[in-house]
Amino acid sequence: MQCGWSLLGPLQWIRYINKQVKVKTGKDEEHRGWLLTVDPVSASLVLVNFHDDAVGGGRASVQVVMGHAVQEVQVLQDADQETTERLQSSFLPPRARPLAPEQLGQRRAGVRRWLEENRVPVQEDGEELLVAGALTIMAPYGPEDCCSSNQIILDRVQRLIQSQPAAARRATRKRKAQQHRARANHASRAQRRHHAAQSCPIMA
Amino acid sequence: MQITGGNKKLNMATPVSVLRLPKGPDPNSRGFDPKSPRFIALCRTSIPTSAVSEADVEQLPKEQHARSVLRESFLRCLLSVTNKKVQFHMYERVKVEATFGASDIDVMNFQVSDLHTPIGVQKEALIRCQDVISFSFDA
Repeated sequence: MQCGWSLLGPLQWIRYINKQVKVKTGKDEEHRGWLLTVDPVSASLVLVNFHDDAVGGGRASVQVVMGHAVQEVQVLQDADQETTERLQSSFLPPRARPLAPEQLGQRRAGVRRWLEENRVPVQEDGEELLVAGALTIMAPYGPEDCCSSNQIILDRVQRLIQSQPAAARRATRKRKAQQHRARANHASRAQRRHHAAQSCPIMA
Repeated sequence: MQITGGNKKLNMATPVSVLRLPKGPDPNSRGFDPKSPRFIALCRTSIPTSAVSEADVEQLPKEQHARSVLRESFLRCLLSVTNKKVQFHMYERVKVEATFGASDIDVMNFQVSDLHTPIGVQKEALIRCQDVISFSFDA
């Protein structure tokens, strides 16, 4: 039951993107929605319908119509700028806020220290970290920012970065160590005074 | 296939044991063997690039770019469906609900969990895409 839709090709399909379409799949079956994408392998259409409730904020229901079941596709209307943006950003991974350069530098140094502690050869190359000559870590130096063509190294380094203790924990550990040292110094000073007092009764 | 109207709705909470359907004439005739003539006839493994004539050789990079943009968008969509409840609308007015697991690369089969069928809840199931008209979920 292959109608022309599956044979159109990517160049034709991409022209239907971001438009509201009506898809006929049977005698009385119709699906409507904003066309998000068409899978080039199976010619399946991904239709999105927005439900803007006052309670839950913007929610969307998504329907995927398989390519082999499509009989007819009709364009109803084009999307305006707002709907297009909403559509395109609905499935993208959440973009982290861009960090300031000093914070980036600190994070880079932190990741580099962690790798060196774990005996992994790492070099700083401008804004990037070069690991073992086979892997590059870009800002913001998370496990997803590692690029390599060597699967084994990629997997190992990603796991290593994932298991790095958080920077905040590092800061408190430093503070705690400093406090501990201060207390120790204080205690030893008090002990010395006590001894001095004991040995020299005149000063008491 | 779906029994509707009038009957009391059975409580489908407990999973049913896996049904072993009778074997066909040869060991792999349950519809998934890629070498069976039925599979080859009905399920193309992938849509090939359109036969480009010499006249529009410059269309090829544009087509490839369009193809990759569309595919990436589709894959992100599939990524967001994983572990969500989806409703499958299949032929013969069959509507079943399941938790989406994964799809294979050619979108030939969907792996789902907790498939609610009229005979009970199948803990794990493989659904053939040729049988599915559409499926829907809430983002």
